[in-house]
Amino acid sequence: MSNGGVESTRDTRKGEDGPSTSLGRPKADDFGRWVSKIAVAQICESVGYQGFKGSALEALADISIRYLCDLGKNASFHANLAGRTECNLFDITRAIEDLGDSHGFPGASEIGNCLVGSGIVKEIVQFVDTKEEIPFAQPVPKFPIVRNGKLIPSFEHMNEAPPGKHIPSWLPAFPDPHTYNHTPIWNERASDPCADKIEQARQQRKAERALLRLQQRLVRNGSTGTSASLVLDATEAGSNPFLAAPLQQGEKEVSEVVLPAKLSNEVSKGDHISLLDAFAPAIDAMKTGPSDRLDGEKTFLPEKRPSVQFKFKTGKKILGESLDLSLQRKGERSSTFFLRDDERDDKKKRAEFILRQTTEYPMELNQS
Amino acid sequence: MNPNPQSSDGKHDDDSALSDFLASLMDYTPTIPDELVKHYLAKSGFQCPDVRLIRLVAVATQKFVAEVASDALQHCKARQAAVVKDKRDKQQKDKRLILVMDDLSKSLHEYGVNVKHQEYFADSPSTGIDPASREE
Repeated sequence: MSNGGVESTRDTRKGEDGPSTSLGRPKADDFGRWVSKIAVAQICESVGYQGFKGSALEALADISIRYLCDLGKNASFHANLAGRTECNLFDITRAIEDLGDSHGFPGASEIGNCLVGSGIVKEIVQFVDTKEEIPFAQPVPKFPIVRNGKLIPSFEHMNEAPPGKHIPSWLPAFPDPHTYNHTPIWNERASDPCADKIEQARQQRKAERALLRLQQRLVRNGSTGTSASLVLDATEAGSNPFLAAPLQQGEKEVSEVVLPAKLSNEVSKGDHISLLDAFAPAIDAMKTGPSDRLDGEKTFLPEKRPSVQFKFKTGKKILGESLDLSLQRKGERSSTFFLRDDERDDKKKRAEFILRQTTEYPMELNQS
Repeated sequence: MNPNPQSSDGKHDDDSALSDFLASLMDYTPTIPDELVKHYLAKSGFQCPDVRLIRLVAVATQKFVAEVASDALQHCKARQAAVVKDKRDKQQKDKRLILVMDDLSKSLHEYGVNVKHQEYFADSPSTGIDPASREE
């Protein structure tokens, strides 16, 4: 029998669409829900339906489960009211009457009736007589399966004496002392201070070599072609590409900076424009959260790329300090530059740090 | 209780009818399996070792579900009879009676159960937002 719309067939539902199709992990009551869904579908089929919508079937199954639970609750309530723990026929009759009150049944308004002649039971009798029997489609195993829990063995079981007269021997035993006592750990390795020092020095040299290689690689890839006029002497340019003579205009292919029409009127006065000004449009374009300083700043793009003054600070070699490459400014804060730095990855920070070290201590570089 | 000779006979009849009914329950297999009923009754605190009473509860539930389903069927048939726009389509679809949330909620309303069906489900926070403003 096939269903219309978005449903699946009744018989395949139990096996195939298990918890894998439903959202989330399988819950404890899933098996009961699936079985009740099949039962409800069978009842609906006997009534005359030829198909179900999945959501409607689920809702009806949920309601029938609630009806069942409510019946049980009501019946046990009436049994407890009468001073019993086990329910009997009359408790169930009263429970069915309670649930059927909203819809009505013959004899509902009469009081003082004997429950044996209750109208609702007669209706059920009628129902059983008229309706044909529809057994459940598949055999249902006994559920839920009860598993024997693994118990912690008692003192008696472990043949241990409880460590105290107040502890009876049938209680679970204490865990072994090694699980909660801290014992000192001896280092079995023989230490050789001389070999350790040699090893340490070797690792340091390896690290320095790696850093130098990294710096060289960055220098090779990182040069952007901006014309930078360096304050330092050209003779020191031997080992450090940053200290080399600047390229003349036209020596190297540089992409032209496209000037927006409205900004072309304003031309930069003088060559010395801070790095911040030059990169301000780029910063804006990248949307790096503009500071209040950027908003008030005049942003304009000169035709010729301005020369950047690099001034290397001598002094404390802290990583944070090295980030401040001391651009020449016209009394402006460097908040945006820090913003850009925050975006740089750690490698670049390290590279600058190494750069600082190499420029200040060129001797060390030659050593490794 | 009226101390009436007629009613006492009636009571006897009722008694016998009831006991017969309970006996017949053992032959009748309700659609809802016994294990399921036992599981949910145990969950709600119902204790009874008698199988006949379990069967009685199962039959009562089956009766309830059948009533709800038949009411929904009435609604479905009424709906199909009312909407006769395109004769060709309807004649083919008329044969299929499908249980839908609308009919179910209407029939359950008479039993005091309010069921409201979701029109649609949004599977992400950006469902239904204008695609131009949606972030990518």
